[in-house]
Amino acid sequence: MNSAIPQIPDSPPPEWRYRRALRVGTSLRELGRSRHIISGLVVRQVRSQYSQQVLGLAWAVLAPLAQMLVFTFLLNRVGNSTFSTGGVPRPLFLYVGLTAWSFFSSSVSSAGSSLVGNPLLNKVYAPREVFPLSQVCSSGVDAIASTALLPLLFLAAGRWPSSTFYWFPVLVLILVTATVAIALAVSALTVYVRDLRSGLPLILQLGLFLTPILYPISQIPTQFRALTMAINPIAGVVDGLRACLFYNQAPNPTYTLLAAGSSLLYLVGGFLLFKRLETGFADVS
Amino acid sequence: MSPEGTVTIDHVWKRFRSDRGRRLLRDHVSRLGRRVSGREDAAQWRWVLREIDFKIEPGESVGFVGSNGAGKSTLLKIISGVMFPHTGRVAVEGRIGALIEVASGIHPELTGKENISVFGTLLGLGKSELARKYDEIVAFAELEDAINRQVKFYSSGMKTRLGFAIAAFLEPSVLIVDEVLAVGDQMFQQKCLDRMRTVLHSGTTLLLVSHDLAAVGATASRAIWLADGTMQADGPVDEVLAGYRTAIEKEAASKIELEGEIRISNFTTFGGSGGAITTSGPCSVSFDVTAPQAKHANFFIGVSQGAATPIFAVRKEGIRVSEGETHVAVDFAGIPLPAGGYFIWFAAFEVKTGREITPWQPIGPLLVEGGRLLDATPKAIVRLSPVFVEAQWTVSD
Repeated sequence: MNSAIPQIPDSPPPEWRYRRALRVGTSLRELGRSRHIISGLVVRQVRSQYSQQVLGLAWAVLAPLAQMLVFTFLLNRVGNSTFSTGGVPRPLFLYVGLTAWSFFSSSVSSAGSSLVGNPLLNKVYAPREVFPLSQVCSSGVDAIASTALLPLLFLAAGRWPSSTFYWFPVLVLILVTATVAIALAVSALTVYVRDLRSGLPLILQLGLFLTPILYPISQIPTQFRALTMAINPIAGVVDGLRACLFYNQAPNPTYTLLAAGSSLLYLVGGFLLFKRLETGFADVS
Repeated sequence: MSPEGTVTIDHVWKRFRSDRGRRLLRDHVSRLGRRVSGREDAAQWRWVLREIDFKIEPGESVGFVGSNGAGKSTLLKIISGVMFPHTGRVAVEGRIGALIEVASGIHPELTGKENISVFGTLLGLGKSELARKYDEIVAFAELEDAINRQVKFYSSGMKTRLGFAIAAFLEPSVLIVDEVLAVGDQMFQQKCLDRMRTVLHSGTTLLLVSHDLAAVGATASRAIWLADGTMQADGPVDEVLAGYRTAIEKEAASKIELEGEIRISNFTTFGGSGGAITTSGPCSVSFDVTAPQAKHANFFIGVSQGAATPIFAVRKEGIRVSEGETHVAVDFAGIPLPAGGYFIWFAAFEVKTGREITPWQPIGPLLVEGGRLLDATPKAIVRLSPVFVEAQWTVSD
């Protein structure tokens, strides 16, 4: 039996400090191996959310539909909005933007609370990213459901999507990149700054009005447009979606490149921030 | 690279924040800034693990003992990768499985079946593995009838069984068991122990945290004793446990503070002809009781180990205690205790009314020195009360 080391200093020599080397490749590979964990969490969330409801997944469609109607009403009757949608029926015009925005905002808000107070965090080892990412995926399920309604809405409006709709996947990719980036950053920050839990809904609400969702980008003064795109990739994505679905145009290349660039930048930043803060999650949450 | 199942802990330190009171948003933000930049934080810290350093070979079974707050669970969290150490290096080869408090992984809105697939993947079971083991898991949890029902309609026992069954079918290289032996009813416990035995026999490294020293003694071959965040001892399980038990007894003895109307003084224990107490030898316990007025009482005297495991108790009815001091002595002919530290417990009740005069409480230590130790049990988790019984074996054709 070894007896204890007789003299233990009050604190360890600083050169022994544990520094986790951040290896991007290794962490991505590990994340890839945890695909099934993410899918398990998504199944769990989606099933538990809808399993006992009569309408089930239909709610994923009803929510944006209702939002569309409410905002159409507001803009037509209450607001004094004079903007032109270029011949596109206003409900349809709004639906595209609202679907994209709901995906973003529900991902970010649920990711924000995915780490704080999560009992699994302290119990089961899995790469920490799986918790916010699975929230993004769950919101993705809802978004797919509400996108599936889009052809019906086009039909109801008596028109077809423009032939340029092949740009759609590119824009979705930018949207997902930006969403994942912000979700990672917000989930990690919320662990340390709990105020975000209350502040986040407010910020997202403001975001809805600051992003050209309820109005076309032409409502933003020309000199601010590029800046808006650079800061807020969602704006570029929504503008691009409208261009390629309604107006038979390719998305504006400047805006799209700006959105793609900034969302990539956000992704790198969000991932690095998450990795940096990750070592303390289990201690404080 | 070390073979699978090796656990190496290298100079690990861990600290938690200990500053109290409300913190302002400003503090949170500056804390965040320091975390991102990696600068040292000015906050107050409390070290919960200091200079932990050991290596566990594949197939070893190691028990972690120590009082509450000694850092056992934190250490296991660091080993399982959930927490990061402050200082040092942790390396575990192979898959880690943890039998932990499992209720948190079970989702009440899902059915038992869905929970098995979801929680199973969370714990690291692959899809095909799960499909292969599904029937076994259901049978193990004894939930054949209820498996398609939502878990919120389960009894709490069923929930625990479900969670434990899923975790029990992991086949890890390193198995971490943190205080879960108190799960379910007797039958189910036995089943869990059998299952753990199977896992152990396949060469899995076992890390066990338990306050049930008998279980640790029967399961582990090596023990690590943590006290106040440091390693107090590391070695063969019997030696470490003996040291730990003695320390508990010493600490508890120093804390004995009797309550009740009857006071106890001059407590002594001695063996045959006043010498040391030995296994299967005679033992006497004597003390003086002081009562404020005359009493007619029933006395109870008991022996326990580790302040919690009662071993036996004796009772004497109708003792007349006069006002002032009365001397009491109890002689045991052959005390069936292996060497180690124990406690003498005492209680007194009024004969007529059954009213409690002195509550059941430890009144002093009992040290058995004569060097008989319990024989080793089969390599399994078997709960043993420390009772030494003389046995004569006859083996014939």
